[in-house]
Amino acid sequence: MESCQERSAIDRLLVSVVDDDSSVRESLPDLLKQFGFAARAFSSAEDFLASDCVDQTRCLLLDVAMPGMTGPDLQQELIRRRRAIPIIFITADRDMIVRRLLIEQGAVECLFKPFSDTALLEAVNLALHSK
Amino acid sequence: MDVQDEQAGGEIKRLQRCINDLVSLLALPAIWSGGDISQVLDTLLNTLMRMLRLDLVSVRLNLPVVEAPIEIVRVSQSLGPMPSAHEICEALNDSLGDSSRRWPPLLRNVMGDRDVSMVPLPLGLRGELGMIVAAAQRSDFPQQTEALLLSVATSQAYIGLQEARLLSQQKRIADELDQRVAQRTAELAAANAELQLQVGLLQSLPVSAWTLKPDGTPDFVNRVWLEYSGQSLDFVRSRPDAWMAAVHPEDRETASRSFWEGVRSGQGFAMETRSRRARDGTYRWHLNQAVVLRDAEGTVLKFVGTTTDIDDQKRAEEKLRRSEAFLAEGQRLGQVGSYSWRPATDEITWSAELYRIYELEIGMPVTLELIRSRVHPEDVTLIEKMKMVDQTREGGRDFEWRYRLLMPDHSIKYMHAVAHATRDQDGQSEYMASVQDVTARSLAEEARDKAQSELANVARVMSLGALTASIAHEVNQPLSGIITNASTCLRMLAADPPQLEGARETARRTIRDGNRMSEVIARLRALFRKKEPTTESVNLNDAVLEVIALSIVELQKNRVMLRPELADDLPLVTGDRVQLQQVILNLLRNGSDAMSTVEDRPRQLVIRTERDDGDRVRLTVQDAGIGFDPQAADRLFDPFYTTKGDGMGIGLSVSRSIIERHHGRLWATLNDGPGAAFSFSIPRTPEGLVRADGIRNIQAPAVTGPGAA
Repeated sequence: MESCQERSAIDRLLVSVVDDDSSVRESLPDLLKQFGFAARAFSSAEDFLASDCVDQTRCLLLDVAMPGMTGPDLQQELIRRRRAIPIIFITADRDMIVRRLLIEQGAVECLFKPFSDTALLEAVNLALHSK
Repeated sequence: MDVQDEQAGGEIKRLQRCINDLVSLLALPAIWSGGDISQVLDTLLNTLMRMLRLDLVSVRLNLPVVEAPIEIVRVSQSLGPMPSAHEICEALNDSLGDSSRRWPPLLRNVMGDRDVSMVPLPLGLRGELGMIVAAAQRSDFPQQTEALLLSVATSQAYIGLQEARLLSQQKRIADELDQRVAQRTAELAAANAELQLQVGLLQSLPVSAWTLKPDGTPDFVNRVWLEYSGQSLDFVRSRPDAWMAAVHPEDRETASRSFWEGVRSGQGFAMETRSRRARDGTYRWHLNQAVVLRDAEGTVLKFVGTTTDIDDQKRAEEKLRRSEAFLAEGQRLGQVGSYSWRPATDEITWSAELYRIYELEIGMPVTLELIRSRVHPEDVTLIEKMKMVDQTREGGRDFEWRYRLLMPDHSIKYMHAVAHATRDQDGQSEYMASVQDVTARSLAEEARDKAQSELANVARVMSLGALTASIAHEVNQPLSGIITNASTCLRMLAADPPQLEGARETARRTIRDGNRMSEVIARLRALFRKKEPTTESVNLNDAVLEVIALSIVELQKNRVMLRPELADDLPLVTGDRVQLQQVILNLLRNGSDAMSTVEDRPRQLVIRTERDDGDRVRLTVQDAGIGFDPQAADRLFDPFYTTKGDGMGIGLSVSRSIIERHHGRLWATLNDGPGAAFSFSIPRTPEGLVRADGIRNIQAPAVTGPGAA
């Protein structure tokens, strides 16, 4: 995987996807690229944190339930590291209460899978502009 | 004058002498008194001889018919030798003749060679008693005074002889009487001794012996009753029913009735009573029997009876009766009938309960036609099976048999027979079977199976709720991928220029994910569809993999690290695939839940399949969780047992039932380290199935041959 550092001056903003599901990691980056973003996918929060893409990431598409460090765990970790990356949670579990909690905790949005491409675009734009 | 004086003086002397003699004669009875005849005669003859200076005196005494007359003769020496008394008497008789009336008062005869004057003196009025003859040689014999003396002497003799005779008669009679009395006494004594012996025997009999007078009053009662009852002889004999005081109050009325009927009718009686033993106050059963003794006219003389202790027999009878009643009752309660067949006589015997089960009249002769009229036409009857077994080479052996009855009303009864080959006391072979109507149980089992399916369904539905997250993930992941890829595809196609390569790729993913989804849905539908249990050959590894696929997302969400260790070449098992998968799912979820609070070590969940001993297959789910209390090991599998706050705890109980219906067992063990392992072991599919029309009818695997894998 090409290192984020190697990127030359990017006019494309980097959206990172952290999800343990392979089909998500497979499909989302292509859609994001269609939107005009750069995209990176990670199978776990640990991988993301261990990568050199953290600083570059302008928006994080984050799964909620993952083995090991969960989505909300990563959210807390980033706050602790003072990396205020806007987070859009994506989850298959349609729980309105959890969604509200996540947003209260600072998430920009919590999308329920399956979501439409337009919903995704709106959320990403919101994330990039609501800093 | 002197001569006359002398003559007068001589006369006076002569008279005086005569009177003296008379007085003597009159005193004779005193002498004779109490003496016998010979004494009388003796005294008489001597007196006459002396008194009258006789030369001969004889007496002939006639005695009663059979006896010879007594003849005695006294002769003075002056007569010289004389013939015998008998000859003399005969001569005298001849001279005098028989009739005493014609006897002359005086007779001159020649006796020996002398002339004597004989005076015959008849004894008795007609001389019937005999005769005395007094004779003297002197010519003036007898003088007047002498004649008088003779006459008086004869009278006295007659009286004396009669008396003596009477006395002797009396004596004889008295003797005879004495003899007879003595004899009688001896007889009586002998009889008495005999009686004593008998009485002694009666007293010593081990039974109570007694007699009753015709009115029922006891007469003789032997020791045995008196000692047993503590009643005195006087008490028992005081009244006919006095002895009944020892009879149990509840038996008195019947006893009294039998007693009086027997006594009054003269028939005697036989009745059983409980009678009280004085020694310890206990009541024991006795048989009281009396028979009647009648005289020649048929009048009742006595009742003779015994009272026998039958308590032991009675209690044994009671026990036997009770145990028979228990057996019959037990048969009825358990709906178990007894069935026996003797090959030698082809004789079939049924107990009452069996007739009831077959709904046939109790006691009907059991024939093959009768049996076939009740047994389901598709099934082999028990008797036919017995005959088959009997003809096998090993001869008689024990076996079980199940068959159905088809009743006239078309209802079905399920029979379960357990048969035992045995030999009876004559050495003849016999098959004895207990046959139980297990219809209720079969129906109950059917109902239970149905209920368990329902319950399993409910459990499924409950776990369905818990699996909602998994389903959501399972379905939504590919769905999400589909939508994302499809959106991307459209955008790529709408780009200028269209990104065909990308479009193709995204379209491909879409189709792939679509297929994946329908697989998942199909699997989920299969798992959660309510179905009758079926039987098929199942590859347990495949089943495990499917379950893993279904639950992997949930497991991962719980940070469970699943480690499958599936044996290669695992034998197939026979069973219901879906039910077995439910069990696996249950075990996986339980393992996962057990680790939900574990933070300090990996949440490792091992699922292992392997061959097990005895042609079985074992599956184990082993977690690294909190384990369980060894004391509560049994209760783990109870319905509704749960350590979870929310769960209904149905899973393990249902799982165990499912495994048991697969002829297997499900158990839990604690690991050496943290956590527990739940395992089940079920038989592999045998090389050839006997019958496979429903799990219930699958026979346990037979011993397989050398070719078995």
